[in-house]
Amino acid sequence: MKNTTALLISLLLMAVAANASATQPNEVYNYYCAQCHGSDGKGNGPNVTKDFATDPRDFTKVEDMQKLSDEDIRNVILNGGVAVSKSSLMPAWSGTLSDEDVDGLVGVLRCISQSKTKL
Amino acid sequence: MQFVCETSRLKDFRLTNGCDKAGKLKKFLLFTISITISSFTIADVGAGKEQFEKSNCQVCHDTRGPAWEESVDDQLSKKGPELWYAGSKFNKPWLETWLASPSPIRPMQYNSILKKNAGNHVALDAAGAKAVADYLMSLTSDAVAVGKITPKARAKGKLIFKKKMSCNGCHQYQERNEVIGGISGPSLVAAGKRLNPDWIYAYLMSPKVFKPIGRMPGLEGVMRKRDIKEVSSYVSSF
Repeated sequence: MKNTTALLISLLLMAVAANASATQPNEVYNYYCAQCHGSDGKGNGPNVTKDFATDPRDFTKVEDMQKLSDEDIRNVILNGGVAVSKSSLMPAWSGTLSDEDVDGLVGVLRCISQSKTKL
Repeated sequence: MQFVCETSRLKDFRLTNGCDKAGKLKKFLLFTISITISSFTIADVGAGKEQFEKSNCQVCHDTRGPAWEESVDDQLSKKGPELWYAGSKFNKPWLETWLASPSPIRPMQYNSILKKNAGNHVALDAAGAKAVADYLMSLTSDAVAVGKITPKARAKGKLIFKKKMSCNGCHQYQERNEVIGGISGPSLVAAGKRLNPDWIYAYLMSPKVFKPIGRMPGLEGVMRKRDIKEVSSYVSSF
């Protein structure tokens, strides 16, 4: 019984530690996405200078975001703008972000735009 | 013909029997010179390390590899770029000049996309800059293979840089007389003077070896090896 309790406590501590070390979705957004899409998601990050060939997507536009399914968003994040006939200024993040990161980002974008997934 | 033959025999004799006095003297002199050069090099590196620590560079720059960062928080806890592979990354003449007269490489403050780089990096005097450059150039990485990339401004490299990968979205560079491009990444203006072309290639091929967490997207599975080579060559020509 003692051994089982110790094992359960160990597993619980490991789960807590793993969760604590995982990067939170907001943090992932701020670190990777905000450089172009802006901290507030309006597509106005610091990289968007006069030389930036196209406007990054404004995530606060509900109508535009509602046209996208969660899978559409995942696809653009993982494979970049070129995969959906948009600009290469949106890079492919498949070599950088984990599936968990991407799922978290979909949630962040839905939150910023206050939109729901396309049905 | 006979003379050539005798000469070659004489050479073989010197190499094999070890009794030739001239050969022994030559060996001794070469050994002495190499020991002297090594001692000077070690002394220079030691003095440079001392200067590095005296100037408190280690407060912001990590000189012990390999990379340890596992999360965004780890990366954000760093105050400045890691230097544990500086000798593989930088060109020495540029490094020495820059340490004596630093100017911003990143338009934005390290790890920030909100604050501009204040351009207040510590400047060393000429002797200090030389010593620290000697030390930093001794910090190398086996992950950087030598002689892979030659700087060349080919049209294909330019196409990849500007159109296919849009590197200019995050990096400034110079086109004609104008500096253009995004500002979240380090500037690539005069990158060829600053960076070792082989390091650029090694970094683009395996960024996580050097920077496990970074704002630049990893290119593994995204770009072909020959395109990475081409763009490395192009950036080295800046």
